[in-house]
Amino acid sequence: MPLLFLCALAACATTEPPEKEMAQARAALAQARPVVQQEGLNEYAQAHAKLERAERAMQQRHYEHARLLAEEAEADARLAWATSENARVKRALDAERASR
Amino acid sequence: MTFHPRLTLIAALLASGCATLSPESQQQLTSARTAYSQAAADAQVQRYAPAELNTAAQALQDAERLAKDGADSTLVEHNAYLAERRARTALSTAQMRQGEAAVLEARAERTRAQLAAREIEAAAAREEAQRAEIARQQAEARTRALEQEKVKVVQDQSAAAGLTAEVKRLEAYYPGVQTRQTPRGLVLTLNNDLLFDSGAALKGGADRALDDLAGFLRSHPNRKVAVEGFSDGAGPKDAAERLSKRRAEAVKFALVQRGIEPHRIDARGYGPSFPVGTNDTEDGRQRNRRVEIIINPS
Repeated sequence: MPLLFLCALAACATTEPPEKEMAQARAALAQARPVVQQEGLNEYAQAHAKLERAERAMQQRHYEHARLLAEEAEADARLAWATSENARVKRALDAERASR
Repeated sequence: MTFHPRLTLIAALLASGCATLSPESQQQLTSARTAYSQAAADAQVQRYAPAELNTAAQALQDAERLAKDGADSTLVEHNAYLAERRARTALSTAQMRQGEAAVLEARAERTRAQLAAREIEAAAAREEAQRAEIARQQAEARTRALEQEKVKVVQDQSAAAGLTAEVKRLEAYYPGVQTRQTPRGLVLTLNNDLLFDSGAALKGGADRALDDLAGFLRSHPNRKVAVEGFSDGAGPKDAAERLSKRRAEAVKFALVQRGIEPHRIDARGYGPSFPVGTNDTEDGRQRNRRVEIIINPS
């Protein structure tokens, strides 16, 4: 696992806890959770798993590792949200066109 | 490109071991470039998700710079990963926002179509109501016309009945008065013996019959009468015609005296023409000496 390898090399304990990245990842997950659709489910699951690993890394004070995981979790969650919303809107548009 | 001390530190720490890009890093970077190019080339992304596209661009620039600087593959792959995810997010977001706009447009279009359909329905209903109103008015007019026709028929019938009844009264009162219905109208035949002794002076006994006739004409102001005098075949024809004419005019005069407008009465003398009986017997001659009053249909 490259991230773990990096953390081992990079002396995690010397960096500050990535509170901002963690908060942004949690917020992105929270935003995606209520709207996630089948189309965005994989990305959401990845985001969820990465955030859990980031939380564990935080507990172990592997802050650089936690930061990278949190950033990826946020990117995954945002993609899950956009993919799901796009799918929902596409279905709404199809329904709108079919009802005419 | 912002200066990032933490990344620089890590890159410096790891620089020696990472001069060439690992296949994983190369693959991740290629995926990121592809995803970014696709998103950046899409006009809808430029329009609907420029901020998302910008974050992807920053991550890709970081990844490219780290790869060029020979930074740790983990960091290269991390930034390439972020770039790829953000590029795909930008594309999906743009499609989603475009779709939302299309949904709104479709709803507005449907509303317009519904309004138009309702307007057409309303116009059709108004037209139908107008047609119904016109039909109703026409039916009413026909009904009124029929009513008037009926009333007129009844009036005509009662008028005719009244006429006949009144004239029959004359007939009943006076022997020598006869009535008959002809194409010219109702013909009342008055025997000269009832009206005249001799010459053209009316007898006093004729007053009652003339009163009744005048009363009848007054109550039917639209009817005209023809008064026609006839004689028997005795004597010169010219004299007979003159006498019959004078007698008809005497009757007209008597009616005018009783309030009938002169223009309603046409007096003529025909002498011995148009006999109703034979001139060979006294009875026949008596019947030929007569005044006929023709009451025209109104």
